[in-house]
Amino acid sequence: MTESAVPAVSLRHATVRRESFTFGPVSLDIPQGFVTAVVGANGSGKSTLFRLLLGLAPLAEGEAEVLGQPVAPGADERYKARVGFLAELPHAYEGGMTAEEKARFASQWYPGWSWERYAKLMRAFQADAGIKLRRMSKGMRRKSELAVAMAHDPELLILDEPSSGLDPFAWKTLLEELNRYMERGDRTLLIATHVTEEVKRIADYILFMHQGKALGFYEKDRLYDGWRVLVVQRRTDAEPQAAPAAELRRVPGLQGMAEAGPGLFRLETNAPEEAEEACRAWGWNILAMQRMELEEVLGCLIRKEEETR
Amino acid sequence: MRIPIRIDEHRPEPLYHQIESQLRGLILGGQLAEGVLLPSIRELAASLKCSAITVRRVYQDLESEGLIRTRQGQGTYVARVEAEAREGHRVERVAEAFERAVETGLQLGCTPAEMEQIFRGILRKISDRRKEETT
Repeated sequence: MTESAVPAVSLRHATVRRESFTFGPVSLDIPQGFVTAVVGANGSGKSTLFRLLLGLAPLAEGEAEVLGQPVAPGADERYKARVGFLAELPHAYEGGMTAEEKARFASQWYPGWSWERYAKLMRAFQADAGIKLRRMSKGMRRKSELAVAMAHDPELLILDEPSSGLDPFAWKTLLEELNRYMERGDRTLLIATHVTEEVKRIADYILFMHQGKALGFYEKDRLYDGWRVLVVQRRTDAEPQAAPAAELRRVPGLQGMAEAGPGLFRLETNAPEEAEEACRAWGWNILAMQRMELEEVLGCLIRKEEETR
Repeated sequence: MRIPIRIDEHRPEPLYHQIESQLRGLILGGQLAEGVLLPSIRELAASLKCSAITVRRVYQDLESEGLIRTRQGQGTYVARVEAEAREGHRVERVAEAFERAVETGLQLGCTPAEMEQIFRGILRKISDRRKEETT
């Protein structure tokens, strides 16, 4: 983990326009040496982001840099040899190839290719290189494609839903291999995932996407530490409140509120200490205080985004 | 190696604080002896399900306290801990436990005299039991 001044990915007002979907404008820096999980619903723009980084979706506006190289029509494309990519869906035209044949093809593309690393990954995943990709189970095909994406030890590894189709054992192996890949400290992993547990286990940063927009970029542990749910109830000795909800709406950092039962309120806040203090001072008991789940945080961010529209 | 650190998600303290105070305790308490190789930042982060940024922050803090040392290319080791620091830590831990007990006492409306009486009673009871066990 070198403290590098140059981010692995840098976007400035990057915008991609397609017929029915606009990605951006998005501005963000993805730090080198860390794992960034990209989280969002289907159609939120995760795959478009990846295609943009690979030069497969042209920018309508703004700028993009990958590994210090600009991504633009006519620009130097050699950076791509330093990137590894696993697409969300397998390519149909590759179905007739064996894993071995696909690997041989890739080995000519990537100067950093190592057959030894490839063989090690295939062994770790217990994948058979001699079978045609089309004939493989979904999980087996995923594993052999992961081995191909990682065999040149790319500086930037981009994985789009890598665990889809993997059984729990293969999933565990995948996380181990990704940790091993990150071990030397200068590699960057960008991973789109629906699996909360995966984010918890591997991510350093989280990028939330929604309808083509970046809703936020957070350090994972600060997010877990900083967003909490409070369940509060009016103290019996406190003065009754005619409009308790109106009072609670002024709680510091309030992101969401719901009446959880008669006189019981559930508050979502990203300033938990201040919120707790305010509630106590206003005559409320704190019945419970918990860290929020990732989906709940995403829900808050989406709600906020939609209120501003 | 597996380091016995447990994160409690229901505690209000930030994750890095929980990890740091437990790791400090293991070193000062002597469970992790001088020269023991600690896991890499990634390894510890993976086993605790926290981010590498958090572990790096913990290692940096403990290194500046002189409790661990990082040798380039070799990893992070437990440093030599002075007997004085260890002794201070021992007393501190006991004092913390008493503090919690006194807080509970005050919350339940105990007077200082009552608490002293309870303390002496427990001390007597436990020492008697220990004496019996050793004879």
